[in-house]
Amino acid sequence: MIVQVVANGAVASAIYVLIGTSFGQIYRVTRFFHFAHGIVFTAGAYLTLLLSVRLGLPMGVGIGLSIGLCAVLGCLMDIGVYRPLWHKGASPLVLLLGSLGMYIVLQNLVSMLFGDDTKTIRSGAVREGVLVFGARVTPVQIGTIVTSVVLVTTLWLFLRHSKMGRAMRAVAVDPALAEVCGIDSDRVILRAFAIGSGLAGIAGVLVALDVDMTPTMGMNALMMGVVAVIVGGVGSIPGVALGALLLGMAQHLGVWFIGSQWKDAIAFGILVVFLLFRPQGFLGRPIKMAGV
Amino acid sequence: MTRPLMEYLLHILILIGIYVILASSLNLIAGYTGILSIAHAAFYGIGAYVAALMALRLETSFLVNVFCAIALSGILGAVVGIPSLRIRDDYFVIATFAFQVITFSVLNNWVSFTSGPMGLPGIPQPVIFGWVVSSHWDYLVLVFCFAALTWWIVRRIALSPFGRVLQAIREDEVFALATGKNVALYKVLVFIIGAGLAAIAGSLYAVYISFIDPTSFTVMESIFIISIVIIGGAGSLWGPVVGAVVLVTLPELLRFVGLPSAFAANVRQILYGGLLVAFMMWRPRGFLGEYSFQSGEVRE
Amino acid sequence: MSAAFLQIKGLEKRFDGVKALAGFSCSVGEGEILGLIGPNGAGKTTLFNVISGFLAADRGKALYRGKDLIGMSPHRIANSGVARTFQNLRLIRQLSILDNVLLSFRNQPGERLGNVFFRWKKCIQSEEENRQKAFSLLKETGLAEKANGPAEDLSYGQQKLLSLVCCLAAEADLLLLDEPVAGIAPEAIEKILEIIRRLPSQGKSVILIEHNLDAVMEVCDRVVFMDAGAKVSEGTPEEVRNDPKVIEAYIG
Repeated sequence: MIVQVVANGAVASAIYVLIGTSFGQIYRVTRFFHFAHGIVFTAGAYLTLLLSVRLGLPMGVGIGLSIGLCAVLGCLMDIGVYRPLWHKGASPLVLLLGSLGMYIVLQNLVSMLFGDDTKTIRSGAVREGVLVFGARVTPVQIGTIVTSVVLVTTLWLFLRHSKMGRAMRAVAVDPALAEVCGIDSDRVILRAFAIGSGLAGIAGVLVALDVDMTPTMGMNALMMGVVAVIVGGVGSIPGVALGALLLGMAQHLGVWFIGSQWKDAIAFGILVVFLLFRPQGFLGRPIKMAGV
Repeated sequence: MTRPLMEYLLHILILIGIYVILASSLNLIAGYTGILSIAHAAFYGIGAYVAALMALRLETSFLVNVFCAIALSGILGAVVGIPSLRIRDDYFVIATFAFQVITFSVLNNWVSFTSGPMGLPGIPQPVIFGWVVSSHWDYLVLVFCFAALTWWIVRRIALSPFGRVLQAIREDEVFALATGKNVALYKVLVFIIGAGLAAIAGSLYAVYISFIDPTSFTVMESIFIISIVIIGGAGSLWGPVVGAVVLVTLPELLRFVGLPSAFAANVRQILYGGLLVAFMMWRPRGFLGEYSFQSGEVRE
Repeated sequence: MSAAFLQIKGLEKRFDGVKALAGFSCSVGEGEILGLIGPNGAGKTTLFNVISGFLAADRGKALYRGKDLIGMSPHRIANSGVARTFQNLRLIRQLSILDNVLLSFRNQPGERLGNVFFRWKKCIQSEEENRQKAFSLLKETGLAEKANGPAEDLSYGQQKLLSLVCCLAAEADLLLLDEPVAGIAPEAIEKILEIIRRLPSQGKSVILIEHNLDAVMEVCDRVVFMDAGAKVSEGTPEEVRNDPKVIEAYIG
């Protein structure tokens, strides 16, 4: 029984780490909460629905195109809204509010175009899944965990060892200094949006393949990613992974004990505790509080 | 004028009144003190549920219920306000998001007490010193009186030295501390007052609609309320009024342009979401505002 | 010189392993203007931040009229008769000049919610009194004409003057002035120094951080030279200026 809980928690963690990492990378270089990241997640699922189910493209093609379009969507958000605001000197709060507005507009567009009802892109009957150490896990769920581990590890290695990765870290630490060193922070930020949005799209597709989708799923998914980032530590991918794992496990253990309706409350309770007592998370650098 | 049309117009005015209360109270926290919060629907909801539950289970009078709603919501306000002392700006917004969702969770899942998703139907009409509030006109008078009272309270605070300290905190907490102001106390107090006033709106909503369920008190509702504050103009007295009028009536106007009613809710959200983005890009201080959530430094 | 008004004993403060204050001690008498000089990074502003409660000291005491300021919160210290200015000039630019001064008055009844709603008359009365006081302070310093305009409309020098006016409004007995004349025109410097010069006759004590040594020589009764978080030299302006340790620290 508990093995099943652990398995479920692991699948959830896999999704959270994808969303959290992608959100975290964008946050590191831009320093504001890109709430609209949630709708990119949703778009991953709905674009796949549109392309593969409605338009009949092969599933692989549909998914691939969808992820690409998600990356484009993220870039459009950057170029269209964030970059102009950024250059005007907008504070993180103004950017956060603009992001919220964008999320709301786009979520409602999805609602209007596709309807509010729950949809699925699962093909064929619901499969029973295989037994792994006593827990039932479907192939999609295994795929989710594998994909997540592979992608996040690749991203982590890429950021550590590539030139672009170093540029991103430079912009994350000190944008002004990075400019002086000849790094075009606009382009670095755009790349962060592209990569981050692509990853969010993948997460959306995986969730849609595993369970189902609704237009409002993005906000909740995003917040789980945010919790993972804050618990794990901004700027540390291993930290986010740890945070995602903690969150996924805590949620599903909690669900097992007190019921699934409290899933959100558990996640947000953990968030508040960390914000109050350890805002830098497990592995992040200390954040400056209000001071002189 | 036909009766249904008149009632529709009164309905709009009543909603505007309720949102004026919500936006004015949030304006104290976000506009005057500069603390952005998306937890306001939680206070709204607590107010509604306390008033409804007391009316239904204890059969106490409306004014008593409102008083208790204010008190309980005020306590919740302190619970949300105290963390603001430790958690900074954008992280604090996330914390308020968390409080909002946790409150919704409690309202939605504590079924034995709140009836959860099924909601509370049959909330009785208020009786105030013998006056039975039943018609739309009655409700309009009731809401208008409370809206005027709330607006007056916010005005009194804003124009007082207390209000001046709030604005100082908004711009430079360190300066406020150096002039001997107990910044922590001000922040917690402003949350208590803002939450308490929002509870009034909740109580009014509960008796007017006579049915409440948790879906009226979600994060989206909080975002709607902060949008009113910002678009109307944060930190100004009439801003919340202008914002409420604009954001409540505009979607209704679109109804007359032939929009399919299935999409009405969506369009309403697209409207205020879109306006929020537009104002952030081109006029962050809103229509009448003084404050634009900016620190004042220009970055290149 | 009367008994020490402010006694600082052995203040220590570490930041990430760097000793910003390494056992700093000195005292200030009543009606005395003490100049605090030293190279950048000597710990002067850190000292101010510790005394005014914005930073916690690791060790040591700062006895002001017998009360130890160390451990007190900044607003309580400000309400105990201490006022300060900031190196990076803190003012509320969105508010008017008059409002900035009005903010600086301590113990205003209108700042308490109970009074705002139940003793409004008292609030109005006190506010009116403060307004009169504020206007006369502004008139003395030549800022009265712009009183209702936003503080951000003032020139840098006028803003520095305004911060000083805010300290005067506080009716504080101990003023901590952090570079009050740095980066402003000579006429403005004179104006500010004149005000500072008059403070002892009003029973006030001042600690003045400045890099402008001429100003320090002109106005200070005593000078303390600080380096690497500790006191290196102390005495009259002349004595300190000629102290070989000081000369070495500035050149070496």
